[in-house]
Amino acid sequence: MDTPDLFTRCLGYLPALLDGALNTLWVAGVGVGCGFLAGILLHRLLSSTNPWFSRPARVYVSIIRGTPVLVQLLVCFYLPSALGVEVPGLLAATIGLSLNSAAYQSQILGAGFAAIPRGQIEAARTFNLSRSQTLWHVEVPQVLALTLPALVSEMIDVVKASAVVSVISVTDLMRVGQQLSSSTYRPLEVYSMAALCYLALTSLLSLAAWVCQRRLARR
Amino acid sequence: MQEFLELLPRFAVAALLTLELSLAGAALGLAGGFLLHLFRLGGGRVFALGCGVYVWLLRGTPFLSQLFIVYFGLPVLGLRLSAPEATVVSLAFYSAAYFSEIFRAGWAAIPRGQIEAAHAFGMTSRARFCHIELPQALAFALPLLANQLILVIKESAVASIITVPELTMTTSNIIASTYSYVMPYALLIAGYWLLTQSVAWLAQQAARRIPFLRTPS
Repeated sequence: MDTPDLFTRCLGYLPALLDGALNTLWVAGVGVGCGFLAGILLHRLLSSTNPWFSRPARVYVSIIRGTPVLVQLLVCFYLPSALGVEVPGLLAATIGLSLNSAAYQSQILGAGFAAIPRGQIEAARTFNLSRSQTLWHVEVPQVLALTLPALVSEMIDVVKASAVVSVISVTDLMRVGQQLSSSTYRPLEVYSMAALCYLALTSLLSLAAWVCQRRLARR
Repeated sequence: MQEFLELLPRFAVAALLTLELSLAGAALGLAGGFLLHLFRLGGGRVFALGCGVYVWLLRGTPFLSQLFIVYFGLPVLGLRLSAPEATVVSLAFYSAAYFSEIFRAGWAAIPRGQIEAAHAFGMTSRARFCHIELPQALAFALPLLANQLILVIKESAVASIITVPELTMTTSNIIASTYSYVMPYALLIAGYWLLTQSVAWLAQQAARRIPFLRTPS
């Protein structure tokens, strides 16, 4: 059996790795998306004047930010099954990443909400918009535009953090790398290729963040 | 309660290992990051470009993939490290990239006028470095450095995947042998939370108590 040279071999890994990269992007994207909505809710709770809401929210943010993502994912995956509810790996991964990202995004969004002039909210109230209308039609669009660069770099963090979902049997980029490595017995090149795929993803995202930043600065 | 008391010693040992791995990795990374930063300051274009590429590579890839390259990949080249060694080495390479960026931010925060003034007073470049730049840059960077140590502690959980018996691995072992989930996971979360919170607290105290670390406000 003739072995193809290094370059051809590395090209051969690409289709499977790209498949895994798509899964990684999907899990991270859903995580950041759900994390955004949960982050808005969390921000509301954090800025509530009622300590029964704000205190648990603060504890939640502190615990999420003070523990590793891996631990959060393991808890999301194994704890429900211990209580008798089977959660598939993919679902546990997206829930875990959403819960994680919500805590970080609540901090990012907080800065965005603080930047909206009070007058706008008062004006919206005067025009008889309900509180949820004010939130979704006046505040959230502006907050999104203001914090987009920071949210894209949060997405970069989540893409990198999502590498550990391979542990709860999600076939993401890292998992595909592990499978290729155990079938080819060439861990160095396979894992280097996987790392390069991550590098491509994060570099493209940071390019996107840079473009957002430029757009924002021009306004 | 009984379960709690039975598990506590094993968790304490595991938390100590997590702390040791993270401190060793972060200390080496701190030194490496400082060297990288010095190269960037005074090493010319080629060095600066090399350091930039290093930072880009290490910050653009997940720590898990770096750990796998070191632990599973390097033996191909004849360098075989044990799991804890591979963890410390990877943590050092990983955090050096972040530390060098923190030092860069610290140096960027020094007002240019001060360096010009030091020149005007005829200070040697070494005296300027030690007495003007370093103390201010460190005072600026202290919260960021502490935050990076917290990130390293959290990232060290990944070492459980290559079977280093630190906090996360120990918890998985306990769960596998006792089939009890709630208490071990609660202790695991509490363990990491206490470690990271104490680092944050220590950094706060240092910023308040140690004179030259006090940020002028």
